[in-house]
Amino acid sequence: MTSRTYTYLTALIGVICGYVIVRSVLFADSLTVRNDLVQGFLVGAGLGVVAVEILSRIKATRINGWVTVFGCGLPGSDIFTRAACARIFPGPVNVPQEAMYWKTGHGVGHTLSGEHDYILHFPPGGLPPNDAFWSLTMADAKEHFVANPIDRYSVGDRSGLAQNPDGSVDIYLQNAAPADHQANWLPAPAGRFILWLRVYMPGAAILNGEFTVPPVVEARPRR
Amino acid sequence: MTGYQHLLLFGSVTVAACSLFVYFWPRILLVVYKRAILVKGFGEGPIPVNTLYTEPQAVFADPLRAAPASGSSLITTGVNRDTLLMVGWLDLSKGPQVLHVPDMGGRYYSVQLTDPSNNTNFAYVGKRVTGTEAGDYLISGPDWTGSAPQGMTRISSPNNSVLVVGRTLVESDADISVAYALSKQILLAPLGG
Repeated sequence: MTSRTYTYLTALIGVICGYVIVRSVLFADSLTVRNDLVQGFLVGAGLGVVAVEILSRIKATRINGWVTVFGCGLPGSDIFTRAACARIFPGPVNVPQEAMYWKTGHGVGHTLSGEHDYILHFPPGGLPPNDAFWSLTMADAKEHFVANPIDRYSVGDRSGLAQNPDGSVDIYLQNAAPADHQANWLPAPAGRFILWLRVYMPGAAILNGEFTVPPVVEARPRR
Repeated sequence: MTGYQHLLLFGSVTVAACSLFVYFWPRILLVVYKRAILVKGFGEGPIPVNTLYTEPQAVFADPLRAAPASGSSLITTGVNRDTLLMVGWLDLSKGPQVLHVPDMGGRYYSVQLTDPSNNTNFAYVGKRVTGTEAGDYLISGPDWTGSAPQGMTRISSPNNSVLVVGRTLVESDADISVAYALSKQILLAPLGG
């Protein structure tokens, strides 16, 4: 289920719950105890879905079109953070000290699509600080790897990225291979895609929030 | 009952159900993982309880073409082309499990121990927390009263059920078989078994 479908579904549940609540206020005299319990349970569960979605938006940190949550997986975390983490990163994710994750989509930034060419520009010395590894992975709208002619599904610290003369690094996110920049090409599908940035044993600058992931910027439009 | 009382009852049940859903959402999510591990497996049948399963080399090497047709796609879906994944589900109600890790020679790896009741990680074994030397770790449930044998580090789990997720870094395509061989030496065994 894509993020957008989920948002529509959540909105729909919200509307239905609102309708039931309003109706029960207007026709309170016709209610029975059994109705109160059954409707209350169903409406409450529906509102729970809506609440998790709202919590995930409140708890998320969104910068430059990337979304992340700080504090996932920690034993002391509150139920709101746990719910938000389980919504944005649905799985047994690491504690921040072990790994930090960012992804595109989830209602932030513009929708990325292989119909356009993009560049992710890391300034000189601005690659994600870490004591293990970092990786930028391409996925289609269903979060699957993307088939491509060079079997490259991610780029990162071990993929031999070329630096610009000033020490900065450009990663080319596009469907067709970029001329002269094959080493820094992360192949995109023809349609919509999302990106994951994962940094394992992240450096202090990431954990204290100083490091920001640069934006994915659209390159000159293709003709 | 008056209309007001009906509304109060309806409202209370609504609030309670909503809170319960938010509270249990992380746990509901991990039920999917439990089922994937113990019931569906990852193409080679279900994973027995108290067993660590390592993703096959071929699947890591060629995730799109070698993905198994049967079983859960949970560990082959997604975004990780950096580490070989290991998964397992522990039941500590019949006694502790011993996690053995080989000398990983400085390589990044981690074994994450997750409490499935709330999706938080109560302990790690791995490069960040315990280093990369060989070692044995005794994972015990909340009711176990014994003490760890000499040479073993004890890890107390708050829950008899534990979701285990392991990751071993792969440096390059040429390194897959080395990383796989190391991963396969990360083992679980019952205490005294």
